[in-house]
Amino acid sequence: MSGFFRRIYDWLLRLFWATELDVTMIGLQNAGKTSLLRVLAGGEFTIDSIPTVGFNMKKVQKGHVTLKCWDLGGQPRFRSMWERYCRGVSAIVFIVDSADQPSFAVAKDELHALVQKPILDGIPLLVLGNKSDLSDSIGVDELIEELDLKDITTREVACYAISAKEETNLDAVLQWLIARAKN
Amino acid sequence: MMSYSKKDEDGDSAIFKVDRTSVFQEARLFNTSPISPRKCRLLLTKMTYLLYSGERFPVAEATSLFFGITKLFQHKDASLRQMVYLVIKELASTAEDVIMVTSSIMKDTAVGSDVVYKANAIRALCRIIDGQNVQAIERLIKTAIVDKTPSVSSAALVSAYHLHPLAKDVVRRWANETQEAVQATKSFGSSIMSGFGGSSSATSGTGMSQYHAIGLLYKMREHDRMALVKMVQQFGQAGVVKNAAGVVLLVRLAAKLAEEDPNLRKPMWTLLDGWLRHKAEMVNFEAAKAICNLSNVTDQEVAPAIHVLQLFLTSPRNVSKFTAIRILHSFASIRPVAVNPCNMDIENLIGNPNRSIATFAITTLLKTGNEASVDRLMKQISGFMADITDEFKITIVEAIRTLCLKFPQKQAGMLTFLSGVLRDEGGYEFKKSVVESMFDLIKFVSESREEALAHLCEFIEDCEFTKLAVRILHLLGTEGPKTSQPTKFIRYIYNRVVLENAIVRAAAVTALAKFGAGECGIKHPDVKKSVVVLLTRCLDDPDDEVRDRAALNLKLIKYEDETIAERFVKNESTFSLPVFEHQLIMYVTGDPSTFSTPFDISSIPIVTRAEADAQDRNNKLRSSSALPTLKPPTTGPSPSSAPGIASVSDHATTSAAAQTQKYAVQLATVPELKPYGALLKSSKEVPLTESEQEYVVTAVKHIFKNHLVLQFNIKNTLPEVLLENVTVLCQPSLPEGEEEDAGEPRLEEEFIIPALALKATDEAPGIVYVAFRRSEASEPEDPEVEASDFGYALATFSNTLKFTTKEIDPTTSEPEDMGYEDEYSVEDLELQISDYLVPSFASSFQNLWEQIGAAGEEATDTYKLSAVKGIQEACETIPAQLGLQPLEGSDLVVAQNAATHVLKLFGKTIGGGRVVATVKMAYSTKSGMVVKITCRSEEEGVATRVAGAIA
Ligand SMILES: Nc1nc2c(ncn2[C@@H]2O[C@H](COP(=O)(O)OP(=O)(O)OP(=O)(O)O)[C@@H](O)[C@H]2O)c(=O)[nH]1
Ligand SMILES: [Mg+2]
Repeated sequence: MSGFFRRIYDWLLRLFWATELDVTMIGLQNAGKTSLLRVLAGGEFTIDSIPTVGFNMKKVQKGHVTLKCWDLGGQPRFRSMWERYCRGVSAIVFIVDSADQPSFAVAKDELHALVQKPILDGIPLLVLGNKSDLSDSIGVDELIEELDLKDITTREVACYAISAKEETNLDAVLQWLIARAKN
Repeated sequence: MMSYSKKDEDGDSAIFKVDRTSVFQEARLFNTSPISPRKCRLLLTKMTYLLYSGERFPVAEATSLFFGITKLFQHKDASLRQMVYLVIKELASTAEDVIMVTSSIMKDTAVGSDVVYKANAIRALCRIIDGQNVQAIERLIKTAIVDKTPSVSSAALVSAYHLHPLAKDVVRRWANETQEAVQATKSFGSSIMSGFGGSSSATSGTGMSQYHAIGLLYKMREHDRMALVKMVQQFGQAGVVKNAAGVVLLVRLAAKLAEEDPNLRKPMWTLLDGWLRHKAEMVNFEAAKAICNLSNVTDQEVAPAIHVLQLFLTSPRNVSKFTAIRILHSFASIRPVAVNPCNMDIENLIGNPNRSIATFAITTLLKTGNEASVDRLMKQISGFMADITDEFKITIVEAIRTLCLKFPQKQAGMLTFLSGVLRDEGGYEFKKSVVESMFDLIKFVSESREEALAHLCEFIEDCEFTKLAVRILHLLGTEGPKTSQPTKFIRYIYNRVVLENAIVRAAAVTALAKFGAGECGIKHPDVKKSVVVLLTRCLDDPDDEVRDRAALNLKLIKYEDETIAERFVKNESTFSLPVFEHQLIMYVTGDPSTFSTPFDISSIPIVTRAEADAQDRNNKLRSSSALPTLKPPTTGPSPSSAPGIASVSDHATTSAAAQTQKYAVQLATVPELKPYGALLKSSKEVPLTESEQEYVVTAVKHIFKNHLVLQFNIKNTLPEVLLENVTVLCQPSLPEGEEEDAGEPRLEEEFIIPALALKATDEAPGIVYVAFRRSEASEPEDPEVEASDFGYALATFSNTLKFTTKEIDPTTSEPEDMGYEDEYSVEDLELQISDYLVPSFASSFQNLWEQIGAAGEEATDTYKLSAVKGIQEACETIPAQLGLQPLEGSDLVVAQNAATHVLKLFGKTIGGGRVVATVKMAYSTKSGMVVKITCRSEEEGVATRVAGAIA
């Protein structure tokens, strides 16, 4: 196909099939949100990622679905702003550094405080235990336990262990997100 | 940057209907998906329109809009992004949590210089960043400053300018880049400016970033005079700065330097003179204006500027003509003679169809011209008075007012003119200026008094401005009774009682009473009788205040003892309002314990009406330049203000008082000084070093009732050292000619308050206070010695700074731990009799002279002053030296080459004793200046010291 027809074809495809999804990525600082998004968008993983001041926005294209990802800063002063960016989105992705035992309690509190907001009722939640490549990381079951995910009942909840660095399990993440479009 | 065109300025809101509420509602658009860049841009445009036209969104709305707008970062459309940044910049000051966009903006500032919104991103970034985080964007801004794309470079420079107050130390590190930005010759077509009438060349293209870079460099070096001098000399070289607006900044800088440092006057003037021939008109005008505004500009200095302005008077373009005549007009107020050479060309403009030009031409000629041309010019003005705006009418009235005082013989014609325009249509400001001019005529041109009063009477018959009516009624009350036929005025005044609102009625009642009371009542019993009848009628007035005033005045007038009415009805004394206000503030803001004692009003000095007027007038003149010449006041002067004659010494009373007030506030914050009581007098700041030494020191002498406090202001100009624990060793010694009294020191040091640390980067100088007790009479058994004699101790202080110096590590900016003790001596400081004297005002010198002569001491001295070149100069320096106020305008030498003159001076000691002096001067080029001073004082010992104080 020549470039021109290719473009026409893409355009038609988007017209009839294309879907856009808003996804908000939250989690404590240093959990790896920005790193994960960079890798999902096809970029290289970097060790020296700088903390996000405010938010950061990137689009991830997968087939005919476009994920508009809002990656928010995880430092305490930004947490009050999470809610604003979670309103009306198709999915909330909560990322945890699964090797950072001491942070679990805070992560749990922040997560539960957020999902209790009535305005966010029913929005599907994906919890990711990142940095599974590290030796002291915990598995999915332990994470579910640590974060009390069983208590969150009024919405769809999933939990995966991933590694942005080694690109482990990222396909599952994308599949889960894209599946939100079909609902 | 807003465009210069007229249409924009008017902000034609009919273009689209925009209001805050609907814009806020529409903002839901930002949350829809997919985003429509076109619609969003339109909405953002409406927002900018609202924000630029002064609308303010409440915090909650602004925040919610701001977060809505951040959703637009998902779209890559470049023009949408630009709009987003424009709005974010405006909302940044109101909305909360704007820090949220930092990461997103940072990403946009990292794009290539060709991306159109890079500059916008940089400008927005500096609005949302806070002081502590500036460091994080340092690299980015530094690179952007030297970016070869002008818009990016400008954006970074302007951002740095805004960041400067937040993070001075960080911004200062960008000096090299900024310097480079000035010198970078970027190519953006022609750099030749055609003046401000031309295209938009002044703002866009042509090296605007040079202008921004110069502005920023100035901010960085503001407090470093040497660096500023270097900057202006380096960039002032022909061709270095291409941008005309940039050169204009240099012009202003040069003018400022010339003003601040007498040593720089010559080189800076040379630069200014060069700019008179710059190819851009805006530079020529700025330079000409700067030269005209130099204080005490000499004829030689100003001549080239006047010449250039004269050439512009015949320019084909109106805007150039206008600018030139406007500068000449204001200069003519100060130095009419210097503008004389242009008279022919100005004459040609009086018929100019552009009324603004014509108005300035005529008023300039009124100032420069001779008596003969006045009538002709007045006729010309009357011709188009109706066609010009109030603002220009005021200019004309002010010119005429000055003229009245300059040529009193012409008063009849001018009075006719003024009364004519008083009847014309016009707003409050205009009417006020006319009425005030007439007040001046009444006060200073006695031939015109009765007629001017008659015109004012007529004016209040139909005056819509309550404030003016009240002022006129007051004047009628004071002046009317002195005229030959007081009855004439009574009818006019009483008409007001019948027809006006309560405020005017009350004023009218008070004015009426003045005709019945005192001398006027005695001289004209019939007048007194009718005043009583009229006031009795006022007792039925519906308004409380009017009735009260009527009742009080009736009672007073009816007293047998005429002096009572004289005292209460016509009493012209009043409290010194500035002191009153200050004391009240101190009382109210002091700690709560002060409320246990009631406010003591007897501590407020009482001043006569004449003194109060003089004070008032000085206050209003203070803003205008202090040159000895005829000049209309720039702010509306008080009703009874004296002529617009501003002279150096006119400021003496006010500036002394103002200085003392200023320091009183500052010293009140020093708890150690509390026990000393009220500050009575502060001297001017006296330099104790040359301004280019490593430490720049000045001193101020503060006089308290029994104490003297020396304030040393110390500036450390060495960036490489830190001074700690700075004190001053002050050693008083008796001045020559003052004999020692029983070997007792008259000044005993009580304490020193050191300055803790002084760095070169400190904005304000560090302050060291050294306090002395001025000791009482050393021989209390000797009843002959008056305490005041000892109270006014004179001395010469030798001063040595003592401190610990510590080197500052240039890399870390941290001082080293170990320092060493050092000393630095500065010049001596003289404590003179003038430090104890407060210039004050009185209306009649002769009375004072006789009164004080009867009671006090007199002393005479004669001097030959070789340094003084002429009588006018002596008239300016001597009053300042003695700390006395010239009276009766005696500091103005009327004749140009007068050979003799008498200066009449008056003042009070801080103890309240009065001091008068005459200074007889004779001058000839051969023998120089000889002065003979005769001084009389109420307190003993003062006259001798004053007479001995001329240097
Ligand atoms: N070993 C390992 N390190 C990771 C992984 N993902 C992220 N990191 C590292 O974790 C650190 C923090 O990553 P970021 O992506 O900046 O974290 P963030 O959640 O965006 O942090 P904030 O923006 O402050 O909220 C970085 O040093 C990353 O290199 C991972 O899967 N494995
Ligand atoms: Mg991040």
